[in-house]
Amino acid sequence: MAETTQDDVVFRPKPSLPPPPNTVGVVGWLRKNLFGGPFDSLLTIVGVSLIAYVAYSLYQYGIANAVWEADTYRECLDVTKGNGACWAGVSTWMNGYMYGRYPDVEQWRVNLAGVVLAVWLAPFWFPKIKAKILVGMSAVLTFPFLAAHLFLGGEAGLFLQVMVAVAMTLFATVWLNVGASYLGYPSLRVALLRLSGFENKGDHLHKYVLLGAFGVGFVIAFAYQSTWELAAVPTQNWGGLFLTLVISGIGISSALPSGIILALGRRSKMPVIRVFCTAFIELFRSVPLITILFMAVTMMPLFLPVEINPDKLVLVIVAVCIFAAAYMAEIVRGGLQAINKGQYEAAQAMGLNYWKMMTLIIMPQALKVMIPNIVGNFIGLLKDTTLVSIIGLYDILLMAKASGQDGKWLGMHTEPFLFTAAVFFVVCFCMSKYSQHLERTIGGGYGRR
Amino acid sequence: MSLETLDSGQEHIASAISDEVVIELSKVNKWYGEFHVLKDIDLTVYKGERIVICGPSGSGKSTLIRCINRLEEHQQGDILVNGVTMDTNLKNIDAIRRDVGMVFQSFNLFPHLTVLENCTLAPIWVRNTPKAEADRLAMQLLERVKIPEQAAKYPGQLSGGQQQRVAIARSLAMNPNIMLFDEPTSALDPEMISEVLDVMVGLAESGMTMLVVTHEMGFAKRVADRVIFMDQGEIVEQNTPGEFFNNPKSDRTKLFLSQILAH
Amino acid sequence: MAVLEKGSPRRQSRSIIEWLNDERVRSVLYQAIVAIAVIAVARYLFVNTSENLQARGMSSGFDFLSGTAGFSIAWTVLPYEAGDSYFRVYLVGIVNTLIVSLVAIVFATLLGFIMGIMRLSKNWLISKIAAWYVEILRNTPLLLQILFWFLAVFSLLPPPRGSFGLLDMFFLNNRGFYMPAPVPGAGFDYTMIAILLAIAATYAVAVWAKKRQMATGQQFHTFWVGLGILFGLPILVFLATGSPLSFDFAALKGFNFQGGVSVPPAFCALLLALMIYHSAFMAEAVRAGILSVSHGQTEAAYSLGLRPGMTLRLVIIPQAMRAVVPPMISNWMNVVKNSSLAIAIGYPDLVAVYMQTSLNQSGHAIEIVAMVMLFYMSVSLTISMALNYYNKLVQLKER
Repeated sequence: MAETTQDDVVFRPKPSLPPPPNTVGVVGWLRKNLFGGPFDSLLTIVGVSLIAYVAYSLYQYGIANAVWEADTYRECLDVTKGNGACWAGVSTWMNGYMYGRYPDVEQWRVNLAGVVLAVWLAPFWFPKIKAKILVGMSAVLTFPFLAAHLFLGGEAGLFLQVMVAVAMTLFATVWLNVGASYLGYPSLRVALLRLSGFENKGDHLHKYVLLGAFGVGFVIAFAYQSTWELAAVPTQNWGGLFLTLVISGIGISSALPSGIILALGRRSKMPVIRVFCTAFIELFRSVPLITILFMAVTMMPLFLPVEINPDKLVLVIVAVCIFAAAYMAEIVRGGLQAINKGQYEAAQAMGLNYWKMMTLIIMPQALKVMIPNIVGNFIGLLKDTTLVSIIGLYDILLMAKASGQDGKWLGMHTEPFLFTAAVFFVVCFCMSKYSQHLERTIGGGYGRR
Repeated sequence: MSLETLDSGQEHIASAISDEVVIELSKVNKWYGEFHVLKDIDLTVYKGERIVICGPSGSGKSTLIRCINRLEEHQQGDILVNGVTMDTNLKNIDAIRRDVGMVFQSFNLFPHLTVLENCTLAPIWVRNTPKAEADRLAMQLLERVKIPEQAAKYPGQLSGGQQQRVAIARSLAMNPNIMLFDEPTSALDPEMISEVLDVMVGLAESGMTMLVVTHEMGFAKRVADRVIFMDQGEIVEQNTPGEFFNNPKSDRTKLFLSQILAH
Repeated sequence: MAVLEKGSPRRQSRSIIEWLNDERVRSVLYQAIVAIAVIAVARYLFVNTSENLQARGMSSGFDFLSGTAGFSIAWTVLPYEAGDSYFRVYLVGIVNTLIVSLVAIVFATLLGFIMGIMRLSKNWLISKIAAWYVEILRNTPLLLQILFWFLAVFSLLPPPRGSFGLLDMFFLNNRGFYMPAPVPGAGFDYTMIAILLAIAATYAVAVWAKKRQMATGQQFHTFWVGLGILFGLPILVFLATGSPLSFDFAALKGFNFQGGVSVPPAFCALLLALMIYHSAFMAEAVRAGILSVSHGQTEAAYSLGLRPGMTLRLVIIPQAMRAVVPPMISNWMNVVKNSSLAIAIGYPDLVAVYMQTSLNQSGHAIEIVAMVMLFYMSVSLTISMALNYYNKLVQLKER
C-alpha cells in the first residue's frame, strides 16, 4: 500500500495569515467584550458612567474634600461641610483601633508577639526547609502560651513559665534548623551530632545528645524569661484589631483539629459516638453565633462551680471555638466524602489500621480537596468575630463605633467604618486569593496527567 | 491491519448522489484569536452525498463542520446551506439549524429529560408538532436505532452506545436533510462502537446527506462517497475511498494513513 | 492453625489482652467510655447549676412565661402592650424576626439572581462590576455593614421636617420609612375575590394552553395572557365597584409623621444590610449553578434549532436549578440566623427582646436560651427537610 514515492504531491501547508484586524488586538477585544451589539454597547456605557460616578464621588469624599488634620469632628465639619472625610479623627483613634485600651507603653509586647509569630512561621514558605510539620505544630501548640504571658503580663504561674521557656526553645530550634539547612547540613539533628562530635559514636547516645542540647536551651530560656518583669494588663483593656486577631486566631487554630475529630465521630460506625457528634454539630450549626455567645456569657457561669468566676474573654473564646469546630466538622465531612472509596480499601488492604489510614492516606487528600472551603470558613470566622462587640468586648468594630460616640469626635461614623471595612477587606481578600493560589499549586496535582 | 481485512465481506453501499448542491463553502477562513484554524476552505456537498473527514487532532475538521450550523462563527468567506446564506441574521441561522442535525462526541443528551422527551423536545417546541404525533415519530426513530424499550428511562441510566443512538434519534426527529457527526464514536468503549456505526450505516442507506468526522476507516471505506483529509486548517486531499486509501497522492496523507493503519 | 488449636487449653485461657483486641469489644468499650464521660460532664454541670441557682436564690421552670413582662417594645407586628406576658414577648420576637428575614430573603434572592447573571455576562465590564460587588460585600463583616447603614446612613437622614418624599406618598427620614396604608372600603371584597379568580383563571389558561399545544402543536403566549388576566380582571372589578379602596397617607403633623404604615430606621438598615450582604453569596450560587451546566447542552439545543430563549427555558434553567436551589436555601437559613444581629442596632427581634431584655429582667437564663435555640433549630430543621425533599424530587437518575 501507500509508500512514499518520487511523484508524490508534497504537502506544503499554506502560511498562517494574521486574523482580520478588527477581531484581534485592542479593537478586537473591545468589539468582543464591550461592544458586541447595540444592547451590549448600551450596557458598557451605563457601566462606565456608573464606575466614573462612584470613582469621582469617592475621590471627592476621600481625597479632594478630606481633612487630614483637625482636633475635633466639629472642625472637620466646618471645613468639609459634610462633603468630605475626616481622616484626622481616624488617625487620632488609630491606636485605639489597633490595640483598644492596651496601655501605650506596653504595646510593644503585642507587636513583639506578632513579629515572633511571623518569624516563627516564615520557614513555611522557605523552599529548602523540610521539617514543616515541626514549624507548624510547635507554633500552634506552644506559641499561645508565650503570647498569653506577653499579653497578660503580671506574675506567671510555674506551668506558664515552663511553657514559655519551651516555646522559646522550640522557636530557637526552628530557626537553628533553618540555619543548619542553609549551611549544608541535612538537618539540625545531624548538625548537632557532627558539631558535638558524637556522630560516629553509638547510636544510643544520639538521643541523649539531642535531649541535652534541648535541656540546655530550655534552662537558658527559663532563666531568661524569669528575669522578665511585665506589668499586668487585664483582658478588659485588650481591644481593637489585636483582640479581633486573638479571638479569631485561637478559633481558627482550634477549628481544624476539633473539626476533624467531630467529623470522624460523625462518620464513625459506633452509634453512641456518632449520635453525640451529630447532635453537637447540628445544634451549634443551626443557631446563630450570637445566641452561642449569649449562652456562653449568661449560662456558662451557672454551669461552673460557684466559686469560679471566669473571665468574659475566656467564655467568648470557648464559644467561638465551639462554633468554629461545628462548622469545620461539616467541611471536613464533605472533604472525606469526596475521597474515593478505593482509597480506603487500598489503605486497608495494605494493612494500615484506622488511625494510620486516616493520617497517612485519607486526611492528606481530603485536606487538599477542602482548602477553598477551609479558607472560606476562616474568612467567615474572622468576620464573625466582630459579633463579640455585641456583648461588650472592645474589638476593632466596637472601637470604630465608639470613636464616633466620643465627645470630641461625636458623629464621626462613616470614616471609622470605612477604615474598618478596608482592613477586613484587605485581610479577607488576600486570604481568599491565597487559597485560590494554593488550590492551583497543591490541589492541581490530581486532575492533570 | 491492512485495508483488505477492513472491507472483507462489506460491500460499499450504493451511493445516491444527486446534482443538487446542499452545502457550499467558499474561501472560508476562521481564527481562534491569533490562531488560523481554517484556511481558505472550499467545499461543495451534493444532496445524498456521504463525506468522511479525517485528519490529525487540531487540523480543524471539527471546527469545519461546526461552522456549518454556526456553533462556530467564521470570519471570512461564504457558507451556503440549503440555499440559505449563513450570516448574522437570526432567521437564517434558525432556518439552517432546523434542517441540519448534529451528533456530538460527548452525546450532550439532556439529563433532566427522559429518552422520549429528549427526542420530542425540539419537534414540539420548534416544529409545533402535537405531542401525540411527536411521541409516535420519536418511537419510530427509537425503533430505528433499536432501543424503543429505553424510551422512559433517563440518559444517565443508559450505556454510552445507547446514549449516542438516542442522540442520533433526537437529531432525526427534526427530520433534517443534512446530518453532521462530530467524532460520534470517539468517547465509546470498543464494543459499543459497532452498534452506533450500524445505525449510521443504516442512515446512509436511506440516502441522508452526511458529513462525518471520524477515525473509523472501515466505516469510511464502506459508506463514504468522498474522503477528505485535513491538516493544519486546510483540505490536503479529497477523493473516493478507493483512490484515497489505495492511491493517496500527498505525502502527508500517506504518513497519516501509515500511522492510523500501522497496528 | 485454627483447626489445630480447637479445643486446646490455650483457647480457654484467652488472655484479657486478646479479648481487648476483639473489634466488637473495642467498639463497645469506646462507646461506653464516651457515654460515661458525657453523662459525668452533664451531671457535673447539673449539680453546679442547681448550686448556683440556690446560691443566687433563683427558681427554675417555665412558670415565668405567664408573668408580666412590663417593658415596651419599640416596633411590633403582633399587637403588644407592656402588660403582656413573657410568652407574648417570645411570639412578638419570633414574628419580628420572621418578617425582616422574609422580606430580606425575597429581595436578596432577586438581587442575587441579577448579580449572578451579570457576573456571567459576556460584557467584560458588567461581569467585572458584578465580581467586585461580590468580593467587596463578601469580604467585609455583616455586622459592620449593618452598623454602617444604621449609623452612617439612616441615622444621618434629615428629621421629619426635611424628609425625602416620593410622590407625597413615601417618606424617608431619621424616624423611619413611611408608606400609605391601604384602607379597604365597602365592596373591596369583590376585588379580593377577583384576584383569587384571576389566579385561578391564569392557572386554567396555562393548563388549557399546555393541553392545546400537546394536541395541536400550536404554542400560546401564556405568559402575556396570564399577566393580562392577573392584572386586568381585578382592576376592572375594582373600577366597576367604584374603587372602594382608600389610602391612609402618612402626613407631617407637628414634629412627626402620623398615619400610614411605617418601619423604623433599624428595620431599614437591617433589611438593606441583610439583603445586600446575602445577595453576594446568592450571586455566587447562581453563577456556579449556571456554570455547572456544560456548554455542550447549549450546543445540542442550538443544533436542534431551539432559539436561545427556549434553550434557556427548556434546557439550561431546569438543570441549573438543581445546582442553585440547595445553596440558595442554605443561604435563606443564614438570613434568618443573621437577622439576630438586629440586636446591635436595636431592632426588636427575638434575640433582642427575649434573649436580652427578658433574660436580664427575669433571670431565667437556661429556659430562655433554650427557647430561643429551639426556635432557630426548628427553622433550620424545617428548611433542611424541605431541602432534602427537593433533592429527592430532582435527583437525576443515573445508573
